[in-house]
Amino acid sequence: MNAFDWGAIWYAVPYMLQGAVVTLEISILAMVFGTVIGIVCGLVSVSRVGPLRWLVRVYVYFVRGTPALVQLFLVYFALPEIGIYVSAFWGGVIALSFNAGGFIAEIVRAAIGSIEPGQTEAALSIGMTDRQGLLLILLPQSLRQMAPPLTNELITLVKGSSLLSAISIAELTRSAQMIIAERFTPFEIYAALAVFYLIMISALARASEYVEKRLA
Amino acid sequence: MPDAGPAAVPAPLLRVLGLSKIFGDIPVVDRVTLEVATGEIVMVIGPSGAGKSTMLRCINRIETPSEGEIWVAGVNMAGELRDGRLVPDARAVTARKRRLTGMVFQRFNLFTHLSALDNVAIGPRRVLGMPAAAARALALEHLDRMKLSAHVDKRPIQLSGGQQQRVAIARALAMSPQLMLFDEPTSALDPELVGEVLEAIRGLARDGLTMIVVTHEMQFAREVGTRVVFMDGGRIVEDRPSADFFATPRHERAREFLRRIHGGAAPALTAAGPPPG
Repeated sequence: MNAFDWGAIWYAVPYMLQGAVVTLEISILAMVFGTVIGIVCGLVSVSRVGPLRWLVRVYVYFVRGTPALVQLFLVYFALPEIGIYVSAFWGGVIALSFNAGGFIAEIVRAAIGSIEPGQTEAALSIGMTDRQGLLLILLPQSLRQMAPPLTNELITLVKGSSLLSAISIAELTRSAQMIIAERFTPFEIYAALAVFYLIMISALARASEYVEKRLA
Repeated sequence: MPDAGPAAVPAPLLRVLGLSKIFGDIPVVDRVTLEVATGEIVMVIGPSGAGKSTMLRCINRIETPSEGEIWVAGVNMAGELRDGRLVPDARAVTARKRRLTGMVFQRFNLFTHLSALDNVAIGPRRVLGMPAAAARALALEHLDRMKLSAHVDKRPIQLSGGQQQRVAIARALAMSPQLMLFDEPTSALDPELVGEVLEAIRGLARDGLTMIVVTHEMQFAREVGTRVVFMDGGRIVEDRPSADFFATPRHERAREFLRRIHGGAAPALTAAGPPPG
């Protein structure tokens, strides 16, 4: 085996930093959209609106039952078929948000479902409607339970963004692959790539630890 | 009381007609009929599984009755009659009607994420649409009435059971209900905390609030109740003025129940009634 080629790494770092910025941009956008989608769908799935609940169930069933890569291809190649044209960047954001939203919906549903029924009864007893009980009483109380699984989901999302390399978005993984194609040093560059992801995900884990403490 | 309805005869504040609640195929409440006039304090007693709590929860429709009618202050709690047919209410309408009643739960059920003050203020603020300052002032007033002025900013977890239950009473009162429902308000309390909650309820009784109280505190029921309803097997077995009931309970099951409650060692020789639900 050849010696470790540090030169390849120094060559790659500036390109990979650019890729990391794209990864971060896409991840943050998808986190925001995915969380919004997830909370709305989670609330719907514990509400009494039958048809909407059924739609959410179908959505979650689909997201859980298909690989993220297949979902990405569907969004990227199927949207133009129905006349919706988006750039690769936004196609990636949409696919990742769609994926995360389904899982977050389940997290929200489980957290709200774990709250003692007495809370709902008390809300009803002072004249609150179902929606008021859900938004003013159950949702705020379930935030703390949601935090740890939500962190996991957001970490999965950042890692899942590497799939976007498959639709030629110049995110972190794609930028690494391009350098490998140029310099033929797969081991060094993939090692560097792993370090890049580790750093980003450690930062994310720290941030959510902080939020969890604030919620406690 | 401006909304007594068009009836010429003073209607009872609460009218329960043939109420049943069936879980699976067990009638936990079995064709109960009950009228409560304004100002009455009705103590509901009986062995566990007699359907006392379920009856109470049907009155404000936290539990949906299987059969029967419930009228509070002349309002049909189930829906409106149109062309002789009952059109069931939308859930939002039920929520509005529910404001006629207030409820205090066995396990307090305070909103865990809110301070004592916000627990009481959130109803007036969000349900009645009061301005924040007015809702806050109203909440402080009710907490003061419950002797909780020193604890308004505490979370439920920082309060004793007795204090929590008094916050819960204040929360219900802040909505100005016409009928208060107490579901075993002292059963989850440590013995030394029971007194302060009973004292608070006694105070409401003196103020003339109409109440139905499910309780196992016989001394309290005798002293504060104007009427006792004894339930067993989902039915009302006796319904009499409080003093009469405790002096001379008519039914064997009521006598048996009182004997057991008073710590008598009466063996359950005669307790062969229907199994508890």
